Formats: sequence, C-alpha cells, structure tokens
Amino acid sequence: MELSYQIPRPALIWTLVAVVLVLLPQSIRMPIWIGVVALFCVCWRVLIHNGKLNYPSRKLRVVVVLFTLIVSFSQIRNIGIGLDSAASLLALGFVFKLIEMRHKRDIYVVISLCFVMSMVAFLYSQSVLTTLYVALVVAVAMGAMIALNRSSSVVDNRGTARLAMKIAAQALPLTIVLFLVFPRIAPLWAVPMQTGVNSTGVTDEMSPGDISQLARSAELAFRVQFEDGVELTHGQLYWRGLVLDHFDGVTWRRSRNSSAYSVAASLADFRISYDDRIRTLGEPVSYNVILEPTQQPWLFGLHLAEDVNDEFFSGRNFELFNNGRITQRLSYDLRSYMQNQTDVLLLDSSRNRTLELPDGGNERSLEFAIGLRASVSTDREYANSVLAHFRQNQYFYTLNAPLLGENRIDEFLFDTMAGFCEHYASSFTYLMRSVGIPARVVVGYQGAEANPYENYLMVYQYNAHAWSEVWFEGEGWVRFDPTGAVSPTRIELGVQEALRNDPAFMEDDLFSAARFGGIGWLNAMRLRLDAIEYEWNQLVVNYDEDVQFELFERLFGEVTEQKVIMLMATLAFIVIVAVGFTVINIEPRIQRTPIDRFYLRVCRELAKINLVRRRGEGPIAFKDRICAERPELADAMAELTDMYVKLNYVGKSVSGAEQKNEMQALQTVYAKLKTKMPALAGLRRTG
Amino acid sequence: MLSVNAEKNTAGQVGLVDTKLSQQVQTTVAEVGNALLGKDHQIRLALCCLFSGGHLLIEDLPGMGKTTLSYALAKALGLSYNRIQGTSDLLPADILGISVFNQTTSEFSFHPGPIFSQLVLADEINRTTPKTQSALLEAMEERQVTIEGETRMLPEPFFVIATQNPVTLAGTYPLPESQLDRFLMRLRLGYPDQRAERELLEMNTERDKVEAVKQCLSLEEVIAFRRQSAEVSASDSLLDYVQRLIAFTRGKDEFHFGLSPRGSLAIMRSAKTWALMCGRNHVVPEDVQAILPSVVEHRLRATSEDDGHSGASLVQRLLNEVDIIE
Repeated sequence: MELSYQIPRPALIWTLVAVVLVLLPQSIRMPIWIGVVALFCVCWRVLIHNGKLNYPSRKLRVVVVLFTLIVSFSQIRNIGIGLDSAASLLALGFVFKLIEMRHKRDIYVVISLCFVMSMVAFLYSQSVLTTLYVALVVAVAMGAMIALNRSSSVVDNRGTARLAMKIAAQALPLTIVLFLVFPRIAPLWAVPMQTGVNSTGVTDEMSPGDISQLARSAELAFRVQFEDGVELTHGQLYWRGLVLDHFDGVTWRRSRNSSAYSVAASLADFRISYDDRIRTLGEPVSYNVILEPTQQPWLFGLHLAEDVNDEFFSGRNFELFNNGRITQRLSYDLRSYMQNQTDVLLLDSSRNRTLELPDGGNERSLEFAIGLRASVSTDREYANSVLAHFRQNQYFYTLNAPLLGENRIDEFLFDTMAGFCEHYASSFTYLMRSVGIPARVVVGYQGAEANPYENYLMVYQYNAHAWSEVWFEGEGWVRFDPTGAVSPTRIELGVQEALRNDPAFMEDDLFSAARFGGIGWLNAMRLRLDAIEYEWNQLVVNYDEDVQFELFERLFGEVTEQKVIMLMATLAFIVIVAVGFTVINIEPRIQRTPIDRFYLRVCRELAKINLVRRRGEGPIAFKDRICAERPELADAMAELTDMYVKLNYVGKSVSGAEQKNEMQALQTVYAKLKTKMPALAGLRRTG
Repeated sequence: MLSVNAEKNTAGQVGLVDTKLSQQVQTTVAEVGNALLGKDHQIRLALCCLFSGGHLLIEDLPGMGKTTLSYALAKALGLSYNRIQGTSDLLPADILGISVFNQTTSEFSFHPGPIFSQLVLADEINRTTPKTQSALLEAMEERQVTIEGETRMLPEPFFVIATQNPVTLAGTYPLPESQLDRFLMRLRLGYPDQRAERELLEMNTERDKVEAVKQCLSLEEVIAFRRQSAEVSASDSLLDYVQRLIAFTRGKDEFHFGLSPRGSLAIMRSAKTWALMCGRNHVVPEDVQAILPSVVEHRLRATSEDDGHSGASLVQRLLNEVDIIE
C-alpha cells in the first residue's frame, strides 16, 4: 500500500486561498451552480485534510467525469462553443482536481491551473482593477508554491507572503521589459468571445422604451479625447450611431436590403457618388474614442465622421462599422467635419426609404400634419412649427412614459403628451414623413461628462439619445432634435440635470458613484478612478504592434531587421547574465560586519610587513605574537586589538550610532599603527 | 599558543570582571601546581571542567600523575571525596552502596557506597566491566541513584574525576562513545618538561606534596563561580565562529561523525568558564581554542582510525582551518 502524502497544512491553505481568489471573479460570470460545486469541492478538500472524509472513490470519479461531459455538452448546445463554455469547463475540472490532490505534483497542477485561470480573467476584462487583482492572485499562487516547498514543520505564513511578494516584485521589471519588446503576434486562433452575453448600448432597433431603459444605467459607453484646443459645447455633442429609417408603426429599424441586387445597387450608388454626396466646410475636429465592448459592430462619432486610419466600413448613411462585433475595448481615431452637407441630391432609393410610412393608423397625426403643413409655406418652416408645437403645449420629458396602444403616434401626440427622446424623435419623424418630407431617426448618445484630471469626456449609457434628420431641398440632411424643444436642459446641460428629480433615472445602478455626484469628494474620486482607468487603457491595453513599432522607432530610429535582432540578442544576453548572477548568488555570500572587514584589512596590511595572522589565530594571540616580534608596534596593536575585541566580542547589541563612533575611533588607532608600519617595512627590505 | 592568554590578560583589558575570582583561580592553580609540577595548563583545564559542572576524564599512561592531580584538586577545592579503584571484579553495588540486614533492629539499613560524595575519583575506570561502568556513568548523568527501588539524590555539587589508561593497553574495556560523551573534558597530562622533571627528581616524595595542598576555594565560591560563568556573554561573531567549528566536523569524509549538540553545548559552557577564569565577562575566540582540544577530542573519531588518539589531529585541523573571521 502506498504511503499517503500529507500536504503541508500551510501549503494547502495557500492553495485553497489562491483557488478561491481565482474563482471569485469568474463565479460572477459563470452559472451559479459552478460556484456551488466549487465551494463544495473546497469544503471536501478541507475535510479530507482534517481526516473527516476520504478521497473520492473510483466510482464517484467516473460519475464526476460523466457529469462534466454532460454539462459541457449542454453548455455548448445552449451558448455555443465559446469562451464561456470553455471557461466553465476549465473551472469545473479545476475544482474537481482539488478533491483529487494526493501527491505533491497534483498541487503543482492545481497551482499551474491557478495561473491559467488568472489568464482567463484577462480575456474578460483588462482593467486596472483586474490587473491588480490578478497580480494578487499570482502572488498568492506563488505563496502556495513557496509554502509547498518549505519544511512542513515551519508555519511562517508571514515569511512566505513576504517571499512571494519579493519574487513578484522581482518579476515586475522583466514583465515590463517583455511587455515592451516581446513581439506582438496575432493570435493563432480566435476564441469566439462571449457568445452568451447580451449586447449593451444603443441597438439597431428602437421601440418606445428602449432608450429610456438605457437611461437607467450608469455604465460607461465610451470615452473621448479631443485633440488640443477643441472646444465644443454640450449641445454640439451628438454622438451619431445608427440611422433608423424603417418604421413599422411600433419600431424603428435600419432597413435591411432584402436582395443581393439591392445591396449591389446601393453599393454602386454609394461608390460612384461618395465624394459628391458630401460637402464639408471648415476644419475637421480630430479625436480618439475608446469604446467599451458593445457586442455590436457599430461605432459612434460626431457627424460627419471620417475614419483616420481607414480601418472601418462606412455605412450608407455615413455610419461607421467595425469589422465584426466589438467584444473588447476598441480605440479608434476619427476626424469629424462638424459643418457639412450630405446628400444634397437625394437618390431615389433613399428618398423612398425615408418617406415610407406604415399602412394605416395614426390618422389624427396625419391630419394634424397636413393641416400644419398647409399653414406654412416651406418645409423648414413646417419643421420649426412642429418643434414649436412641442414647445408650446404641455409635453413632458420623462423616463416614465405611459404605455401606448395601437396608434402610438396619435396617443403620444394628443393624449399622453409625456415621453422620452425616442417618443419625440419618432413622432417628429413621422410628422415629417406624413407630409412628404424625407426624414429618419438617428440613435446614438448626446452629451458627455468631462473628466478634468485627464482632459477627456466620458459618455455613459444614460446619455443615450434619439433624434431626427430631415432632408431639405438644397440643404441635404439637417439634424432636428425635438427633445431639445421639450427640454432644453437635456441638450444644453445634460441628462443628469434634466432628470434630476426623476426617480427612474439610473435606477439600475443604485449605488453607482455617478448617483452621488452631489457629494464632492466622492465625485472627485470617481473621476480620478476613471482617469486612471483611461490612462491604463491608453498606455497598456492599447499597446499593440503599431505602438510598439512607434516606440522602437522613437528609441532606435528606423527599425531594421538587424536592429530588432540586435535588440533581442541584447535582451537575451541581459536575461541570461541576470539569471547567471542570481544562480551564483544563491550560494550565501559571506556577510562580514564592517568591523570584521576592517580587521581583515589591518591583517592584510600587517601581512605586507611579514606579520601574517595564521588561519584560526585569534586576535589576542595574534597581538601577543606581534608584540613579541615587533615591540615598536606593541602599543598601537594592543589598543587596536582591545577595541576590536570589545566591539566584536563584548556585548551583543550596539546601536548604530555607537558603532559608528567606535569605528571612527578604530580608524584613528589604525592610522597611528600605520604611521609606524612603513619604517618597519623599510627595515624588512634592508634587513 | 593555547595557553598564551591565560596569564597575560590582566590589567588594561576590556570587559573585565572583578579580579578577585581570577586571582583565586590563580592561587588554586599554583597550589595544585605544587603537587603536579609543570602542568599548569592541564590544572586550569581541570578546574574549568569542574567549575563548568562537568565531569572530567584523565587519560594517560600509568604513573603520569593522574591520581595526584585528582587528589590535589579535591583538596584544593575542599570537597569531600571518595576513591573507587576500578578492577575487573568491581560490581555496581560496590560503587552505589548496599542494604545490609541489621540484626539488632531486624531491618535492612542502607550503607551508601563511595558514590555519595562531592568528588568521586574513579581510578582506572576502563578496567571495570561495562556493567559497572554504566552504573557509574548513569549516576554521573542523572546525579541520582536508584537502589532497591528507592531514588537517592547525590550531593551537590557532584563531580566525577575518572582516570583511565589508554585503551591500547591489555585488560581494559574501552568506554563507548555514548559514555565518553558524558565527560565534559578529557585531559591528557603528558610527560613533564625537563625543568619540571628535574624539580621532581630533586624532591623527596610525591605524596608529601599532595598532603600539603591547602584548600583555596570554599564550596560556596565554587558554586558562585559556576553561577557566574553562566552569565558570561558570547557575541554573535563568537557564536558564528563556534558554529563554523561545529559545521566543519559534520559531513566531512575525514570525520567519522560530527559533533553532537551536546558537544557544542559543552564547548560553549567550557569557553564561558574559561573566559571567566581569565577575568573576562565575554568569550573571545582564544577561550574556545583553549578548551577545544580537551572538550571535543574524545567526541570525534577519524574515519580511518589508526590509534585511539585520532581526535587530537582532527582538533588540530579544526583549529588551523577554521578562521575566526569567515
């Protein structure tokens, strides 16, 4: 029978702490039952250690394997092959290994898995907080390794922690160097990210209630940094997302082309006349946007945005699209011509799309529109009088819009008269289309909060907004924001001001810091934290191949293959030398006290005049011998030896200052001794 | 080299304790020296051993003055002493004592053996059988004896000075390592030098000299000395040196086995006493070096043992190869 290996208690504790720390952030994302299983396994492990329970039997292990297989298959079926299913499978295997740790190597497996699991955490989030947390986890896992290799009788958790910290701190410079210079290789395979996660932010459909739902959330949508010197008012910050031009009576949608032919046709339209479709005035505004993952492909920017690096697709209506869903923070540079005219000549296909109305319904609105149009002479006057209608009547800007029935536009315009931006944009656009003016709904964000610490803007989900674009002959598309007519505060000062007394505002984030914006220091702290996050993003998360290349260029001039090889070789050399030195230093270096060093120096000096202290000869014996051989040195030597003996062998602890004084005294005596030595040296030479 | 510091550390030294003690030691050494000529260093070591509360083993050829030294020490310290002559038929009861039936009282009465005295001189201990040896050595370690189920304490202080012939002589039972370890020191007297020998030859009889040894220290003084020696300080540098000495004996091919922790404690205990005897309240490397041969020689054995004295060469290596500064 094999002798069972008893895992040292401190090592087990360290390992379990590491495991719990690793799983803690994962368990928020993972199904709750995995957390329960993990807790169960940790408890079982503790009971095994205490001798209360045995290791799982073979039968049970087979059951567990089957269970894991079934679970992973069902996961794959439910949420598809992706990061989530892979992560939960890994977590399951990880926690089951806990109750199976019998040998030392099993703990090593678990600790290595801790490292792997910490890397998984980075797939989900790369924020400062995550990084710090993972650093903590890594330190604890290292502590587990240290504890495992210490003698089992030593319970010195503080020492273990200190050593782990030390090792982690030592690894830091190497990490930074590797981070900076290690070639950024594109991933060899791509993990389908977060298939099960819902998209966030503005979507390509707008039903009444969608945007007001977003306004309940204080999550960050994106951050923007303008190039220096750009000053825009709050009212100018219309972050245009998508154009929704198809209305079915309830929901606004992007019209999707149904046939390959129409795609080709619209592409052809677009290709041929792109430059003709826009007319810009004045200088563009440049800025950088860091978009939080939305799980959607579209991007946000000020109208009319041009993509600086040519990485994105431009939509038919000058929207911007990423190639693929945005599953990680995305940083992009844009250039916007704030003064622009688009589609001065409207293509027929576009005109048809933007005039389309659902069949039947909303008759009162239709009547109202036609009546109003007849009272004014131009389309623009008509649009303005609709805005005036909103302004002059008892319309309310509120998150808690009453439910609407069959004829939504009618009910809103004439009965409930209370709603959020989507109600206003929707009905405004409807009223335009009713009288044959091309109009469409635009969704995106409006406004931003400035972060004074790093000079950038933060746009939150509650900044989500919808407005209209109306086409006028000779002017092209013109932005109209009916919400501004109802609640000018919303546009000029922001949604926070406009909805100050609305209890539904940000109700999803009861404890979010933004809610407590009124408390000065709390708000400052929130802004400061966000600024740190922003810097982190700019410096670390965005450090990709291009930035690396730029860095090299700045450091070494033009980057050539030779230089890269040289750099690599140098770094490899430094690392090897550093490791070599470390290995050499593992042999404990002789640590002499200053007094001993001094005494040895005296001995070396004396050896020059043939007075060699023998190995193992004590200081007093040596002095006696010198006194006998060289009476000229007797006094000085006796004094020096007395002091040395006093310092080295009398009294156990001498304070630092005292020691310094003693050393100085010793030096003076030594000087005295030295004055006598040259004569002797000469004596020896002649004799 | 080893005795060099003994006399010279008088005035002008640092960390001196009150000189009365060292003067007393000086007179004691002189007094015992009258009986055993030219062996001052050995006498000092013997005193150091007794002051440290350890037992002493004197090993040498017959007629070298082993018994003279033990007698003289007993007299100079004013201790009650008994002598046991080791023979091959000596039984444990001869040492420990025996219960005798008293016919008048009809009871057994205990007649304590020679072990019940402050100083026991066990002559030629290696000529007794192992059984008797172990009875004596047990008493040395426990400082108590159990006879017929009754435990009796031995007097305080309790010293054993044992003498033995070198084990190469016929008719001896060499003491095993475990029992040698019980002796704090093992001394060898060696031949007297020429001057001492001449003086010896000029004398009438040796016996008179031993009888003439006067008591120099009282029992209280001996005990006080022992107490004070425990308070002698040893600095970190010194402990480092001692540790290096000990480490040197361990894990080397030439050394059959290294020093035990009991051995290292013995070094420190003796070195402290030695320092005090020299009038210092701190230990210097010379103290360690002075007592080292007698403390560790009998605890070390070379791998290739040519004779019984291989310990001596090993100690010499220790002294020559381990430096006082690393």
